[in-house]
Amino acid sequence: MSKLPAKSTTAASAPAEAASERRQFLTFQVDGELFGVSILRVKEIIEFGNLTPVPMTPPYVRGVINLRGAVVPVLDLAVRFGRPPLNVGRRTCIIILEVPSDEGELVLGTVVDAVNEVLEIPSHLIEPAPSFGARIRPDFIAGMGKTDKGFVVLLEVGRVLSIDELALVGSLASEEDEGVA
Amino acid sequence: MPHNSPDMAAALRTFAEESGELLEAMASHLRALLEGDEDMERLHALFRAAHTIKGAGGMFGLDAVVGFTHLVENLLSQLRDGHQPLTPALLELLMDCRDQMEDLLKEALDDGDAAADPALAARSDSLGARLQAALGNTGGGTGGGETASPATAPPPSAALTPATDEDVELERVEADTWHLSLRFSPGVLREGMDPISFLRYLESVGRIVHIATLVDNLPDAEAMDPLNCYFGFEIELESERDKDAIEAVFDFVRDDCQLRLLPPHSRIADYIALIQGLPEGPDRLGEILVAANALTRQELELGLTHQRQFAGQAQVPLGEILIAEGMTHPPVVEAALDRQAQAKGRPGKDKGGESQFVRVHAEKLDELINLVGELVIAGAASHLLARGRRDRRAQEAALTVNRLVEQVRDVTLKLRMVEIGETFNRFHRVVRELGRDLGKDIALDITGAETELDKSMVEKLGDPLMHLVRNAIDHGLEPPEQRLAAGKPERGRVRLNAYHDSGGIVIEIGDDGRGLDRERILARARERGLIGEDETPSDPELYALIFEPGFSTAQTVTNVSGRGVGMDVVKKTIAALRGTVEIDTVLGAGTTIRLRLPLTLAIIEGFLVRVENVPFVLPLESVRECIALSATSAADRRQYVNLRGEVLPYLRLRELFALGGTPPRRENIVVVRHQGNRVGVVVDQLQGELQTVIKPLGRLFRGMRGLSGSSILGSGEVALILDVATLAEIATSRDHNRGGPAAQLQQGASACSTQ
Repeated sequence: MSKLPAKSTTAASAPAEAASERRQFLTFQVDGELFGVSILRVKEIIEFGNLTPVPMTPPYVRGVINLRGAVVPVLDLAVRFGRPPLNVGRRTCIIILEVPSDEGELVLGTVVDAVNEVLEIPSHLIEPAPSFGARIRPDFIAGMGKTDKGFVVLLEVGRVLSIDELALVGSLASEEDEGVA
Repeated sequence: MPHNSPDMAAALRTFAEESGELLEAMASHLRALLEGDEDMERLHALFRAAHTIKGAGGMFGLDAVVGFTHLVENLLSQLRDGHQPLTPALLELLMDCRDQMEDLLKEALDDGDAAADPALAARSDSLGARLQAALGNTGGGTGGGETASPATAPPPSAALTPATDEDVELERVEADTWHLSLRFSPGVLREGMDPISFLRYLESVGRIVHIATLVDNLPDAEAMDPLNCYFGFEIELESERDKDAIEAVFDFVRDDCQLRLLPPHSRIADYIALIQGLPEGPDRLGEILVAANALTRQELELGLTHQRQFAGQAQVPLGEILIAEGMTHPPVVEAALDRQAQAKGRPGKDKGGESQFVRVHAEKLDELINLVGELVIAGAASHLLARGRRDRRAQEAALTVNRLVEQVRDVTLKLRMVEIGETFNRFHRVVRELGRDLGKDIALDITGAETELDKSMVEKLGDPLMHLVRNAIDHGLEPPEQRLAAGKPERGRVRLNAYHDSGGIVIEIGDDGRGLDRERILARARERGLIGEDETPSDPELYALIFEPGFSTAQTVTNVSGRGVGMDVVKKTIAALRGTVEIDTVLGAGTTIRLRLPLTLAIIEGFLVRVENVPFVLPLESVRECIALSATSAADRRQYVNLRGEVLPYLRLRELFALGGTPPRRENIVVVRHQGNRVGVVVDQLQGELQTVIKPLGRLFRGMRGLSGSSILGSGEVALILDVATLAEIATSRDHNRGGPAAQLQQGASACSTQ
């Protein structure tokens, strides 16, 4: 019974994405922790490789890849969460996500340690983001999904990969560059 | 007007585009005429353009446009027919009228009502009055023609009906109205034309006294196709206008309707011929005409009797009537022929700007370019594969395919490229208007109009260019007295120039005015605290200040410029396009502002190099030569080498981009040239030339300097395209700073990592 108010707070606090979409999530691991993103944001999953590093970008930009003729930036989620960069292993993958922005949908890749499965989590099992105690910024979290194996951190893709926040870095770098030149 | 239907909206869009092109063509013809190229063909073209705009405008109910254009057309018609000599003053007037048409159309298409803007309407009126005055010079009336002297009308028809009796021949009907027999073809509705629109528009040239709708063609209910038009109309029109004007109403359905027109007081014989030629038969039509008061019953009887008498003899076939009718109206025939020529797509009919195009949606083009890009990559991959096998025939086949694919790509990429001339030409008007407002006599010189750049680029350049041109006119050029006092010709010159340079496009906006006053800018900069009292900035540094927000040395603010806003916007816009702005100025002799812009979607001829196995592409145009970096100079911490007796500063990409790793035993220097500066770029491996499609790096990397884009290699790898301008800047400006490039980039990189 105590779940009812909890559910309503989720709907209110978590942005519309989590509330209105069907509750299917792609789960994956980053730095040993389990995360999930709404399946509707996932475009595809590809093998890690053929990455061209772009110089003078912040560490969370791993580089760019050629996705069937389109040049797509790839970000390191671990660094974005304030952890050490991801080490490339056998199960390392790139998840290609569609991120909403004011200039239409942007296609971005994220490197993850491993992709697990697609989970269906009923909405009453999704708790609101804890106001403290999580190891990542609270606004990155759309909710905490309860599964039989424990909690999954459901990510708010629009915030984690907020292009406005990420692109700021480029302009900083250029200002610094201008100052030098 | 049924503006709301999707068909109509599409038609309106087409009209907007076409009228824009026609106005452009008019401007170019007028300019040529002003410059003394007195080709009659230009006047014809002008007339046709005005006529088409008026006709189409009428269809869409754009009354303000139609009303105004009508006067313009009248003047043009007089000029064309030689009733008036073509004077520069008239040309100026026509130029202003063309501008006004442009404004009216824009207003009408934006808001759907051109009359809404009182200032615009007032301008229409004053120009209209000037047009009327110009028309009055020959005693009014449009093009002489039938209305002025009806007696000149009959001869062609007289030749048609040789068999008719003299009495009937000369007998004229009493009715003082035009008679129109209108038969729409069944397909007219499918063509998106609504007969009602034409009838409504017909009222703009006169008053419809009587209209009879013929439904004789209407089949039985089962056989009827609701998409077909079965109607015919017999119309009595009271109008002061001439035959051309009335026929012009139906310009747009000329192919989809039969129109027969009889002027007031036509001969009975003509009416009879008309009746005979129509499918409904003489009795039925006769009744209608009588009912419409076009003919009296006696007139009809008389006519028919005579006709019957000669029935055995020469019956005039319909075709002949039409031909004769057509021959009486050379402009109509000419226009029709023109149209036919266009439909056949016959080349070489380019009469000063009436070039031929196929409209393609930009999205489709982008899609094609993307696909071709992938095709190139796939082709390169298969070529690599073929090379790996020792099958000569497979190699040859792959090579042939590759060559073709490359050609396809070149052609495809060019599809998006447009000449900058069209953008430049728009400034003729700006220069003329501003010059008049400011009392300056200004000539606009345009060179390099054929320089091509990407369409998306052209669109974004409009505003900054406009600003720079206005600036050059207002601030750059002195008033005539000052010019004469300074020993310059009274007429000021503004130059627009464009050319390709190092894989980019350079656009110059120049004037021969007073030039930038170094002292004044310095004083103003000190006043605003942008420069310290004891600092002495270099010329480029100082001139760059005019791009600071709110920086203006203008003593008076005019309504054109001088508020100090704008130049900063120009710089921002250009920077957003990854371009740069340079200023060349000589006090008293003029200023040239140079915009250097990349071609966002150009075919780039590149030179592939690798550092730490990261592929980089240098634009081939800027690559001069490659030399080996000797071990001794590599060990040396100097940042320059001796190249045939000259100092060549260089920078190491490894250090500049903080790529880490250890340099290989042998490094290479690629010598690049940028604006006369030679700079060495130290890389690990040279991999040779390649042709490649530039892919923008996307929003995430927007504002990054040193890289101008990316490209996909045959192997599927993404290569980064180096921005030579920035590299050269870093290498040459290094002397002003204490640290080497390594130190600079360390700063840059650490700034990033501390994010």
